[in-house]
Amino acid sequence: MRLARAVDGALLAIAVFIFLFIVLFPFYWIVLSSFTPKYELFTIPPRYWFSTFTLENYQVLANSIPLTRYFVNSLLFAAGSSLVSVAAAFLASYALARIQFRGANLIFIVFVMSIALPQIGGLVPLFELFKNTGLINTYHGLVILMSSLVLPFTIWILVPFLRQIPYEIEEAAIMDGARLPHLFWFITLPIMRPALVTMFIINFIIAWNELIYPLVFATSGSNKTLSVGLVELAVQPTAGGGRPWDLLSAMSIVMIVPILIVVLLFQKLIVSGLTRGAIK
Amino acid sequence: MQRTRRIAILICLLLLPSVALRLFTAVYPFFNTIWLSFHDWNPAFPPQQFVGLKNFQALTRDIAVTGSISFTVLFVTISTLLEIVLGMAIALILHRAFFGRGVVRAINLIPWAIPMVVAAIGFRWMYDTQYGVINDLLYRTIEVKVPWLVDFWGARAAVIATNVWKSTPFVGLVLLAALQGVPQDLYEAGRVDGTNRVSAFFYITLPLIMPQIVTIGLFMVVWQLAAFDLVFAMTGGGPGFATQVLAYRIYQVAFTALNFGYASAISMVLFIVVGIASIIGLLLFRKVEVSL
Repeated sequence: MRLARAVDGALLAIAVFIFLFIVLFPFYWIVLSSFTPKYELFTIPPRYWFSTFTLENYQVLANSIPLTRYFVNSLLFAAGSSLVSVAAAFLASYALARIQFRGANLIFIVFVMSIALPQIGGLVPLFELFKNTGLINTYHGLVILMSSLVLPFTIWILVPFLRQIPYEIEEAAIMDGARLPHLFWFITLPIMRPALVTMFIINFIIAWNELIYPLVFATSGSNKTLSVGLVELAVQPTAGGGRPWDLLSAMSIVMIVPILIVVLLFQKLIVSGLTRGAIK
Repeated sequence: MQRTRRIAILICLLLLPSVALRLFTAVYPFFNTIWLSFHDWNPAFPPQQFVGLKNFQALTRDIAVTGSISFTVLFVTISTLLEIVLGMAIALILHRAFFGRGVVRAINLIPWAIPMVVAAIGFRWMYDTQYGVINDLLYRTIEVKVPWLVDFWGARAAVIATNVWKSTPFVGLVLLAALQGVPQDLYEAGRVDGTNRVSAFFYITLPLIMPQIVTIGLFMVVWQLAAFDLVFAMTGGGPGFATQVLAYRIYQVAFTALNFGYASAISMVLFIVVGIASIIGLLLFRKVEVSL
């Protein structure tokens, strides 16, 4: 019996170790490459440890592309999209969860089902529409697109969340003659705060990582995001056909560090938000 | 009467921002794509011309499109199966009690949270035939080197493996939550009846969480059918058309070849594939829910 438990514990330890190795090794490799001088990246066999530690890759990167500009753009794009989607979903979820009316459930289902419409399938009409309305290469144009993309999932999470909160407090406030803006601001908003913060964080991460919309609708440089800058660096033709792995590694690190901070700070909230949709 | 009307107006106002956003960026483009798929349209030569089924006839003879359909289906099927099996394994590991479990669970979130383009580029570097670390590790252990991204099946395997690496932890996370929802007393009862751990998994756990498995499976299928970032940043569809997927083909035809009508016809194929997958998924879901 004790032997069986020891074997069991050892197997579990091995499984955890393999899992951690597979998940973390690519990160280690990108970090290592980003701090290694270019000429040492192309050696056979590759070096598995920091041999000549250097920040040069980051300096060259910052000098060859408008890195700060891209970073700020990504930040504004992600924060703006996240804010608009959560605000719109908050209003809609109040109507769908709190006001009893015929068709509320149908509208909810249609919203959720629209997740299945592939984003890429609507690019051509959207491109024409945005060109004709002057929304192309604008910040608010990108925010409209992105907030709409994450909206169905946000509504999917917020409506059940609001439905499971007892209505009594809001009812009492209405009895006391609270007007709707007051009700929203002082009662409903604080009650829903955990869910709203969670969805803001999740949508922020999704928007930060988004590629297609900025790639197609931010063609003029001043609105490009980190994701666009990164793929431009990765697909542009280079002399000899090789890729600038030194710069690509450095830029990857610049792009994932903010996300890692967000994940580590808000791990519990993110997990609760991501799993609430699947588990009732 | 006055009251019901005021409530109706209130409902409309509350729904307005969300409905407007979805109409503007999802519903209108969807219907316009259907319309455009029956037209010839190059934005550089403006007039749209109605051409009937010409675009659809052309795509049945276009190897770049038919090839991308078959690889998309292969990519999604193998990816989803692997993600569910390996995700289940991750969930079972993270469900056990061990020292440092909280940290390991946090680490499990990281592949989900990073951009797909970063995963694609990182793995592209690691899969490099000459200088890549994967070939070096393979060479050290079994003395082979694989020309990953320049070989037809090597590139396909590499793209699918990268996708599975990125997406499996998310599936594991959802399945872990499903495991936590299984009542403990069922296992107690099983233990009294003398079931071992393996049969407890197959006869208690698996049937109970089957609805969640089907739900996440359906979600992953629909989502990955439209996958774009990975192929765009990792292989560009190559070598040849080996790793060409529908979403990337649509993008190229629309924004490199500027053939808007044809791109819309390929989009229709994507809509239809997504529709078929959704219907199969919903039927499957109904079946496992009823059988509970």
